[in-house]
Amino acid sequence: MKPGVIDYIILATYFLYVIGIGWLVKRRVKTGADFLTSGHSIPLWVTSLAFIATNLGAQEVIGMIASGAKYGALTFNFYWLGAVPGMIILGVFMMPFYYGSRARSAPEYLKLRFDEKTRGFNAITFAVMTIFSSGISMFALGLLFQLVLGWKLTNSILLSAAIVLVYTYLGGLTSAIYNEVLQFFLIVLGFAPLSIMAVWKVGGWSGLTSRASAWMAKQPGFAHNPDVITHTWKYMGHASSNMMGVEWFGMLFGLGWVLGCSYWCCNFLVVQRAMAAKSMAASRLTPLIAAFPKMVMPAVVILPGFAAIALHQMHVPGIMVAKGATFNYNLVLPNLMAQFYPSGLLGVGLTALFASFMSGMAGNVTAFNTVFTYDIYQSYIKKSASDSHYFKVGRITTVVGVLLSIGAAYWAAQSDNIMDFLQLVFGFVNAPLFATFLLGMFWRRTTGHGAFVGLLAGETAATLTLGFSTAEGTGGWFGAIHTFPSAMAQNFWIAILAFTSCLVVTVLVSLITKPKPVGELENLVYGYTKIPVEQDVPWYKRPILLAVIVGVACILFNIWFW
Amino acid sequence: MDDLRVPIGSFFVILGVMLLIAFFVITTGPPLSSPRVNLWCGLAMLAFGAIMLLLARRGKA
Repeated sequence: MKPGVIDYIILATYFLYVIGIGWLVKRRVKTGADFLTSGHSIPLWVTSLAFIATNLGAQEVIGMIASGAKYGALTFNFYWLGAVPGMIILGVFMMPFYYGSRARSAPEYLKLRFDEKTRGFNAITFAVMTIFSSGISMFALGLLFQLVLGWKLTNSILLSAAIVLVYTYLGGLTSAIYNEVLQFFLIVLGFAPLSIMAVWKVGGWSGLTSRASAWMAKQPGFAHNPDVITHTWKYMGHASSNMMGVEWFGMLFGLGWVLGCSYWCCNFLVVQRAMAAKSMAASRLTPLIAAFPKMVMPAVVILPGFAAIALHQMHVPGIMVAKGATFNYNLVLPNLMAQFYPSGLLGVGLTALFASFMSGMAGNVTAFNTVFTYDIYQSYIKKSASDSHYFKVGRITTVVGVLLSIGAAYWAAQSDNIMDFLQLVFGFVNAPLFATFLLGMFWRRTTGHGAFVGLLAGETAATLTLGFSTAEGTGGWFGAIHTFPSAMAQNFWIAILAFTSCLVVTVLVSLITKPKPVGELENLVYGYTKIPVEQDVPWYKRPILLAVIVGVACILFNIWFW
Repeated sequence: MDDLRVPIGSFFVILGVMLLIAFFVITTGPPLSSPRVNLWCGLAMLAFGAIMLLLARRGKA
């Protein structure tokens, strides 16, 4: 791939715009609260698009296209099962308590609902995780540009980190959110032509499915059901009949319920976007409105990868390149761009890649900022200072957060295995949280001790499961009692066991410890929170109705591609 | 900043114009590309940007 002058001009224009937006937002950011929480001032359509854009990091885009090339239509499950249901649950059931409690962060909700130790545990694990995630994605992007453009790793890491630093330092959360919307449009408009051209080339949807099936028929073990690559559910009956090596229960409960909901309902990275909305109603509508574009995103971020298999079957060279006995799936996206995009559009595609990286990293940096400043600094280091003091701390934290991310990126560069391992760990650190929030919001008897011990039990169960099981060479340090058919199955089952242990232990410990007095549960728990009922508003502003529409649409998509 | 639609609209108008220039200037492309892809994508981005700017203007009035 050799970008021309015009491609670099497009990239430079984008950088100017990103920093320009940060500079324009700066005038509006006058207090620490503005900087760290946007002061509840962002319009609904902006929070909704930012809500999904912050998840559309470079790793998500590269990874989903890679997964499309590896698993075909099975990948749709990550959106229609692993994302949309979780977004509906956040909007309908959980947002009233997040917003109603007036908490400034997810850990702070845990403090208000439970106690200091539960908040501290969550805040610290979250802070460490965000730094490593942004470091890992920085490294992933740098590695990609090194492979396809020949750029030095250090150059792309420092360039992208510097730009994210400038605009988040200038305008804080508002700047990050505004930029995420621009990044969202750029990602969609930058990758949609790739999807259209690739699918066109392989002969439309019917050409795509027949060629992908023909390729599948040549793979060992799938000769009798080559159409496995074109269905989401049909071959989920048994782990051995699909390439993911996952059966329906692990898929439904592990991905859909535990991992999907713990990410979309409890990860402050995304929840922060909904909390920045203007009102309780708008905060509930944020994930629900976001679910509509999210549902059709696979057309842009999965379909090109799926088409890559069909192109490979047509003997088009240079897209699915070999890596050992298998393919280098992470290169499918840049390879497709190199084959389809002429100079000009290539610049847009590369810019979209940068944009996806920045939206992911800025999300991590702003969430880290808020959690560090309010949940760690204000709670443990300096309790009562002026707002301007925390404003200053927030700004300094931005710089420190970016520097730590760069450090994490170089640490990840030491070994590819560290990266895989960390991603596995992050998967299960979040999993038990969903049980904690669910019980906290809907069972008033849940106690602080229960929540804390439950979380520890969840993490312990996850660690033990990983330690005592193996799959494709991961885990099993304490001896392998069980072997999973695939790393993905292992990941889903770790989440299931972590969630269940957390749930059971939280309930048991809560029953033998003293609950909070009812007076202190106002706006934190179901039954003691006034949830506004929208009466005089048009239908499209009613959360429940929207949730039903998006839920039915999502089920229809599942049936359509079953 | 009052309206996010202004920077987004103007950004895509500029991007659209650049792609149209690329269409006239650049004649070679990779194997699977079609010669008019810069033209179509440029027009699409120009239209998207223009709609954003129009919405922003209407919102103000």
